Amino acid sequence: MSNTNLTPADARLRVAVDIGGTFTDMAAFDEVTGQLLFGKALSTHGQLVNGIQATLDSADIDLRDGNLFLHGSTIAINTLLERNGAKTALLITEGFRDIYEIGRVNRPDAYNLFFNKHEPLVKRSLRFEVAERLRADGSTHKQLDEAAVRELARELGGQDIEAVAVLLLHSYRNPAHEQRVKQILQEELPGAFVCASHELSQEYREFERVSTAVANAYVGPRVSAYLGELEQHLSTKGFEGDFYVVQSTGGLFPSAHARRDCVRMLESGPAAGVIGAQAICAQLGMGDAIAFDMGGTTAKAGVISEGRPLTTGSALIGGYERALPIQIPMMDIHEVGTGGGSIARIETGNALRVGPQSAGSIPGPVAYGRGGTEPTVTDANLLLGRLDADHFLGGELKLDLAATQRQMEARIATPLGLDATSAADGILRIAVTQMSHAVKAVTTERGLDAGSFTMVVYGGAGPLHASAIARELGIRKVLIPYAPGYFSAYGMLFSDRRYDYVRSVFRKLGEVSFDEIEALYKSMEDEGRAALTQSGTKAEDVVIERAADMRYVGQEHAVTVDLPGAFFVDKDRSAIKRQFDDLHKVRYGTSAPKEPADLVSLRVTVLGTMKKPPRHSVDTGSAMPEKAALRGVKPVYFRQGGWADTPVYKRDLLRAGNQIAGPALVEEHASTTVVQPGDHLRVDELGNLQISIGSERE
Amino acid sequence: MNTRDLHNPVIDPVTVEIIRNGLYAVTEEMKTNLTRTAYNLIIYEALDFTVGLFTKEGDTVSIGLGLPMFIRGMSETVKAKIKHFGYENIKPGDILVTNDAYTTGSHLNHFTFTMPIFHEGRLEGFTCCMAHWLDVGGTLGNVTTDIFSEGIQIPILKYQREGVVNQDLIDIIAMNVRLAERALGDLRAQITAITTGERRYVELLQRYGADAVNGSIRQIMDSSEAVARKNTLSIPDGVYEAESFMDDDGLDIGKRIPIRVKVTVQGDEMTVDLSDVSKQVRGFYNSGFTTGIACAQVAYKCLTTPTDYPVNDGSFRSLKVIMPMGTVISAERPYPMRVWMTFPMTVIDTIFKALAPAIPHRSIAGHHADLVFPNIHGISPEDGRLFIVGIGPLGGGWGAKSKEDGVSVTVCINDGDTHNSPTEQLEAKYPVLVEKYEIRKDSAGAGKYRGGLGAEMVVQALSPFTVTTRIDRVHCKPWGLEGGGEAMGNGLAVRHKGEWKTDHLNAKIFNVRLERGDAYKMLSGGGGGFGSPLEREAEKVAEDVREGYVSVEVAREVYGVALDARQQLDAAATNGLRAAASAA
Repeated sequence: MSNTNLTPADARLRVAVDIGGTFTDMAAFDEVTGQLLFGKALSTHGQLVNGIQATLDSADIDLRDGNLFLHGSTIAINTLLERNGAKTALLITEGFRDIYEIGRVNRPDAYNLFFNKHEPLVKRSLRFEVAERLRADGSTHKQLDEAAVRELARELGGQDIEAVAVLLLHSYRNPAHEQRVKQILQEELPGAFVCASHELSQEYREFERVSTAVANAYVGPRVSAYLGELEQHLSTKGFEGDFYVVQSTGGLFPSAHARRDCVRMLESGPAAGVIGAQAICAQLGMGDAIAFDMGGTTAKAGVISEGRPLTTGSALIGGYERALPIQIPMMDIHEVGTGGGSIARIETGNALRVGPQSAGSIPGPVAYGRGGTEPTVTDANLLLGRLDADHFLGGELKLDLAATQRQMEARIATPLGLDATSAADGILRIAVTQMSHAVKAVTTERGLDAGSFTMVVYGGAGPLHASAIARELGIRKVLIPYAPGYFSAYGMLFSDRRYDYVRSVFRKLGEVSFDEIEALYKSMEDEGRAALTQSGTKAEDVVIERAADMRYVGQEHAVTVDLPGAFFVDKDRSAIKRQFDDLHKVRYGTSAPKEPADLVSLRVTVLGTMKKPPRHSVDTGSAMPEKAALRGVKPVYFRQGGWADTPVYKRDLLRAGNQIAGPALVEEHASTTVVQPGDHLRVDELGNLQISIGSERE
Repeated sequence: MNTRDLHNPVIDPVTVEIIRNGLYAVTEEMKTNLTRTAYNLIIYEALDFTVGLFTKEGDTVSIGLGLPMFIRGMSETVKAKIKHFGYENIKPGDILVTNDAYTTGSHLNHFTFTMPIFHEGRLEGFTCCMAHWLDVGGTLGNVTTDIFSEGIQIPILKYQREGVVNQDLIDIIAMNVRLAERALGDLRAQITAITTGERRYVELLQRYGADAVNGSIRQIMDSSEAVARKNTLSIPDGVYEAESFMDDDGLDIGKRIPIRVKVTVQGDEMTVDLSDVSKQVRGFYNSGFTTGIACAQVAYKCLTTPTDYPVNDGSFRSLKVIMPMGTVISAERPYPMRVWMTFPMTVIDTIFKALAPAIPHRSIAGHHADLVFPNIHGISPEDGRLFIVGIGPLGGGWGAKSKEDGVSVTVCINDGDTHNSPTEQLEAKYPVLVEKYEIRKDSAGAGKYRGGLGAEMVVQALSPFTVTTRIDRVHCKPWGLEGGGEAMGNGLAVRHKGEWKTDHLNAKIFNVRLERGDAYKMLSGGGGGFGSPLEREAEKVAEDVREGYVSVEVAREVYGVALDARQQLDAAATNGLRAAASAA
């Protein structure tokens, strides 16, 4: 593996592979023919590399032709959630051994006496204190006792410790003690995976930072071994190009770096989907879009505003109540527990609830005939004619309509005094409003007008509900991309190399010296440039974006404000302040232009832009789809107007320029698009389905 | 839509569910906007606030989870405002304010803003936000003995009249509070929250129509009532009593304050009689009538409809509360209220204790029941200005349940989704150095299921500051149930010139000045145990010893569990110890 861009002249394939919970998806771009290739195989848990090779084989990809291999995987997040990571120890500032277990002392379910807290990844007997102390300004309050650290490291050597995390207070301000501790650990425990918190986060908040460092150490050995195995496999197959991994920001970093900063790839798949939506925006000249992904258990929404995805500085992994915080930049994605497998239930007081319990793939929806007895969103779609019993997954899985009807009646419809159709329709309406809350969370709640965005919808179950969700939110335009079932892999083809840096500074904007700030930004930028140069990026391809977390003096919560470079050239404090005031006003509806502001943390994103695949296109046809594209006409239920004879089209036979007025269904291998009455669909030259949403809300 | 009659149309369950989700989302967004824009730590980290939506009668439709103890105060404050002005004088664009302690039932720090929601010219409800202001004037730090020493009092007034802000009121407030810019920042955050709530609620009304929304709200409340009744019916009929006590009122040191509750369950109704809770006290631990009612409601909700959202008044129709005025939880003007939140938590725990024999599997042993945090003020060495900060809440142990250990170091029941503040943040903002924040060994009550553990925090002054603590429950230790042991209580120590003073009679110190290098230490209690410790799985006890939660001595003497030199379970010795203990 070279990671130096010195690839053979004839290597022409950019290959992206995304491992998801169920499927491993592949998208490849042939730089010579301009062709896009897709592949899919079942994920092979335990031996993920086999699944990767299977997807490559399914599309006849020869890795000797590859110049770039881009990869996203659930391995890091699954290791965290399934708790099968390394035996990990934690070294922490004296007096603070328990902060990782104490957490933020919160209790979200206020009236529930049976609540639980997060469970640390490192138990107390493996958390050790280090004699040292820094102050908030980075000065030394107590010298580091190196001898004691060395002695401890030697003791750990006898305890099968595979990984060690280090958190010392105020290391975001001065990492010297953490660096020294790490060095000693590496000397004494040469085989262990060692992670110091400042390497991942130079932001204040010791609990969040320790949680991040521990998570990294905990997943590190497994993720690193996996990536090593994959490197080996690629090399065996004759691949001589560069191997990059997708981060939770959607940016790429070399596999060698991913093997150290493993938590940066936690949400690689969902992030790549947003990058795919961003690529479509760029191709079509759109600035604003919602990226909406619906699968079996969850629906996720991200936002592209003025051409750029919105990111966040931290996230909670594993459900709020018991969550482990991860404090690194990530794509800002809001998730709700509504998916195709979400179960509908009647609860006490005759309330109809949908999710968050999911039937998963086993037993799955009633329709799968694998023992599921509780009606799900997928079952509701089948009963309303939106899914086809004989053509689900291209006919590979026959759906059991009679059983679905029976269970819907017995469990939902009859108890509520409804018929099965109304019950199914009700389940979809509830699911749709729940999913619309995910979209609102990333738009209206951030001061953005959802109605003015185009919604790019993907994931197996997304296109079934896209039109209904759009109506719920007053969204006028929906776009179902080409190959929505391969969308995360497709998105990776458009990623750039990326490094993110954050440094907490706690300075008053009115008093800060521009030289000091400039020096801090520069040091982060230089680090990013060096990392990019190492992986072969040319200087002219480097793009730097600056931002700062700001707040009014006295406030705690800060918002991240993008800061154009010109502000620093001009040393323009008031421009920075205005930018913050304006954003505060958009986000929260108020601002205080006369109040002074704090600079809490400085942020830098260093991008190494990659050449993007050009626009691909599909064959052009006339306004009327070809006859062959029409598979038939079937009754489908719509809330407005009831059952209607509805034409069903085969997506792979639709041509650019085809237009279809709703109601209609468009079927493809892993997905069905519902075009509601009043909607109007047009196939664009890139093969996307662009749907103008009818004005009526459901 | 089926219609039973014109005034009460039956809304279909799908629409009800959609509106239920919508109501919940509105209060969640109000909460987000408040915390993201607030200025003081008590709002943005300790989440000492409550946001909610109310019917036009002032009944609770949805409360965003903030401060559970304010479950009643907000609705009663909205009702008081309606009564004060009369519907004819409440106009679109009005914002009604008060911090009257005897209306909200709490302290003057709780500024409460209410905005009427109009749709198609009709009043459809109210949006309301209470939040804790860092300072509202009055005596700094010391114990107070009447309401006048606690700060500025704003009766029910219009902060905004048909869209026009009452600047006179702002000027009066600004002159009467310390750190006025913070207070006004929090005021802005509260206005953001209620206007957001108003806007989103109007969107719901536009989207579904007032009939569907109001009909759904009625049905949601009816459904909460049905669940509450069903879960009350399953409690055996009877009269259940329990008692506990508070350390003192901060003035008469050592004079215990009795808390006695009587709960009567009959069929699907419960009556909580709080007549024998102590009379109001001289020191500042009183709370108002609405908080007394809230004690019963919080306990009732925990036992009958804990995860029923949105939190609404339907849940409480099957609950009656008997309580005279003039108790420590129904205090009258001018009794002092500044530390309103402490005693009610113990009242709630005592209700759980009373009902434990009837419903052991739904109840919980006692918890540390105090916020355990200090009030600190001083002059910042950086800018020479006054600073005021509370460091905490510390979090403490929760009680064990019939089949689960208690949760360790978690905030008390008065507060919900409260956060402590990062040490790195505190040290960057204030002249303090946190020497230690750790779990307190052996603080949990022993039991077949043990309680959660408490914590210990030591904070050193890097420049002089003044500290006040109002911590209670030192002497009334969190109790166990069904043979479970009691936990350690809360505690306090102060270090002057390197010497620890640990013999405080209670955990209350008022305006004690710490010099550079001095420190205070706060200790939170654990949770009580459940069932006999001799029945705890011996291997779990051994594990607790290895992890440092339980000492070898306690394992041996209380749990009857012996460990060998390598801290592994010594089964033979354990059997002997346990047999002897059972025989005794």
